[in-house]
Amino acid sequence: MLGLGVDRLRADMNRLLAMLFHQGVLDEQFLQLQQLQDESSPNFVSEVVNIYFHESEKLLRNLRELLMDREFSDYKKMGTHLNQFMGSSSSIGAKRIRNVCVAFRAASEHNNRAGCLRALEVLEHEYCYLKNKLHELFQIEQQRVLAAGVRYPMQNN
Amino acid sequence: MAALQRVAQSSASTTASSYGSCKGGAASSFSAANEMAVSDRFPAGLRVLVVDDDTTCLRILEVLLGRCAYQVTACSQATVALNLLRERKGCFDVVLSDVHMPDMDGFKLLEHVGLEMDLPVIMMSADGRTSAVMQGIRHGACDYLIKPIHEAELKNIWQHVVRKKWNGNKELDHSGSLEDNDRNKRGNSDVEYTSSVNEGTEVILKGPKKRSNTKEDDDGDMENDDPSTSKKPRVVWSVELHQQFVSAVNQLGLDKAVPKRILELMNVPGLSRENVASHLQKFRLYLKRLAQQQSGISNGFCGPVESNAKLGSLSRFDIQALAASGQIPPQTLAVLQAELLGQPAGNLVPAMDQPAILHASLQGPKRAPVEHGVPFVQPLIKCQSNVSKHFPQSIIPAEDVSSGFGSWRSNSLSTVAPSNNLGGLATHNSSMLMDIMQQEQRQHKKTQQQSVLTESSRLINVQPSCLVVPSQSSTSFQAGNSPASVNQSCSFNRSTVIDYSILSAQSNNSSLNIGHIPTGNLKTPSILDGYSAHGSVPTTSCSVNAGNNTSHQNSAVPFCDSRQLPGVLHDMSNIQGLYVDKSGEMLDQGSLRNLGFVGKETGIPSQFAVDDFESQVSNLNHGKIYVENSGNPVKEEPSMNFVDNAKVGIPILQEFSCSDFMSVFTE
Repeated sequence: MLGLGVDRLRADMNRLLAMLFHQGVLDEQFLQLQQLQDESSPNFVSEVVNIYFHESEKLLRNLRELLMDREFSDYKKMGTHLNQFMGSSSSIGAKRIRNVCVAFRAASEHNNRAGCLRALEVLEHEYCYLKNKLHELFQIEQQRVLAAGVRYPMQNN
Repeated sequence: MAALQRVAQSSASTTASSYGSCKGGAASSFSAANEMAVSDRFPAGLRVLVVDDDTTCLRILEVLLGRCAYQVTACSQATVALNLLRERKGCFDVVLSDVHMPDMDGFKLLEHVGLEMDLPVIMMSADGRTSAVMQGIRHGACDYLIKPIHEAELKNIWQHVVRKKWNGNKELDHSGSLEDNDRNKRGNSDVEYTSSVNEGTEVILKGPKKRSNTKEDDDGDMENDDPSTSKKPRVVWSVELHQQFVSAVNQLGLDKAVPKRILELMNVPGLSRENVASHLQKFRLYLKRLAQQQSGISNGFCGPVESNAKLGSLSRFDIQALAASGQIPPQTLAVLQAELLGQPAGNLVPAMDQPAILHASLQGPKRAPVEHGVPFVQPLIKCQSNVSKHFPQSIIPAEDVSSGFGSWRSNSLSTVAPSNNLGGLATHNSSMLMDIMQQEQRQHKKTQQQSVLTESSRLINVQPSCLVVPSQSSTSFQAGNSPASVNQSCSFNRSTVIDYSILSAQSNNSSLNIGHIPTGNLKTPSILDGYSAHGSVPTTSCSVNAGNNTSHQNSAVPFCDSRQLPGVLHDMSNIQGLYVDKSGEMLDQGSLRNLGFVGKETGIPSQFAVDDFESQVSNLNHGKIYVENSGNPVKEEPSMNFVDNAKVGIPILQEFSCSDFMSVFTE
């Protein structure tokens, strides 16, 4: 029963991942992350992704604050935030987010405030979507690990 | 798994933690890394410092680099990273840095690292646009990686370390400058040189002689704009620059040469009055030393006719005369001088003298070259301390010099590391000599070579404390027939080599030096030429016969083969006579041949522990301490004397320092 659960969970995970890849939300860089996870760093992916979430939310908040400011004019500063967001997103394989950042950067370089605002909204939306999906992925993974752990003792019996 | 190093979180704690983490991460590997860096497991163990304010990327890179079997140290703050680099010089091979960082711009960090530590810096950024990459290149980054960074890209970063090292050495060969050493040292160059085996090691392992174009071009530029830079970049007195300096001084007249006027005459952008002033000070000391040497030498020996008289006058007149006489090609002297001056303060007092001596020899009066030669030699001998540092540099560029040298160089390369450890001095000297010699050789072919060599050889003899003359060893040194050695010296700068070998019959150093120098910088013209008594050396030679000088008038320089040493020889002869007796046999053909080797370890004192030296060297030394030098059998390769010499070079330098040196000459 539990053993079946493990297989099912693994299938769920794979399905979810496949969908995210297909949608372009994730790319092969995420696979590289997964490959870096091994016995020496068993929770590497979730660790890095959590760091990413933490940092990204800060960046998004900063961007939002900058753009909401009426006297906003510091596009350079916005560019810096954007640059970092772009870098970290691409490093974990968040392809769609990265693409939105590129568009955002273009608008920022043209001092197009409206364009930046629109881009920011899309960015926030994409980020939320990614965060939800990755959380879901990690939950499945956790369950799978648990199921697999429980299974072994039963086998020994 | 290792917690992400939040290095940037807080100042003190961050620093402590970062250091701690750095230590923890790298502690065990520091020493191991050093070995690994040059082990056959390379590039495993490459010591990487990665700097990125983005924690996500930093963490990923840390793990990725770890997967490449590198020794990783992660920093999230540029300032912390810079401190880490400064505190642990020589503990990193390459730096990976993000471009956009809050506390310091990545390019700023790049500049600092390049100036102070001369490490290859690879920039990273999410911005992969051409303009951004162009900016990276303009700032001198070795590479520019675009995020997301793949493991494959990181697996390749070791190439930058190697490339930098090799290019650096190559440049050294061409320029003859000791930029690398300068870069490694953060001290001022005005003071005496402080050498250390460590630095030599650093040079080797780090390799990264910042021969980058930015550095070379800034031949005298100083960066004053960044307050965070604790030290200004050192001015590298390359051969060309030094020649300009010397000509400016000559134009003004040494007595009237003031930094301001010299600066005006030189008309080098970026050079400051302070640079010139310090250089002038060194130069003056060198001249003074030269004068002292002259007087000392002449007094010590039967006193060549001219020596006494010349003593007093040994000054720029002499130098000029000597230069004018062509015995010591100005370039050689200049180069020598440059070399000496450029040498890091490895040598204490001697170092200072060297430049003066070189200079003196450069300007050399017409009179007995001996006087000049002596100073010339002395510096070489004394340079030992800097050998370690200099050696690798000179050795590597040796390839350019000539075929013989080339091979030698390659050999030396492999031995560089060990030799450095051995006797920094020897290396230094040899390298210096080598550089000088090489320069000489390049510029002057045989004729001059011989004269120069003879001169120098003479000088060497004069130096009481100089090289030991392992007459016998010289033979072995040369490989007997030395035809190979002798001939070889003829062929390329061989002549130069030969002479030295004669001189250093005992001291491999001399031979080494000669050999080395040519390889490294062929810039040293005349001096080497003089020494490289060409093939004829062996025949005539050395031996003690004062009258032997085949070509030279003075003949006095029996060993020098004096062929080409005109004025100098006569003085030498006197001196030689003294030695000749002792070494009579030494100066036989064999010894002459040894001279040819120049690089042979004849006289390298064991203390310098030149592993490279082949047994021959030891032979040369009469079985003295030099023995150590397994030395490269100079004789082995007829044309490759240098190759051997290269190895021997280090030991040779040592020999120079030996008192045996003098005896070598006699032989």
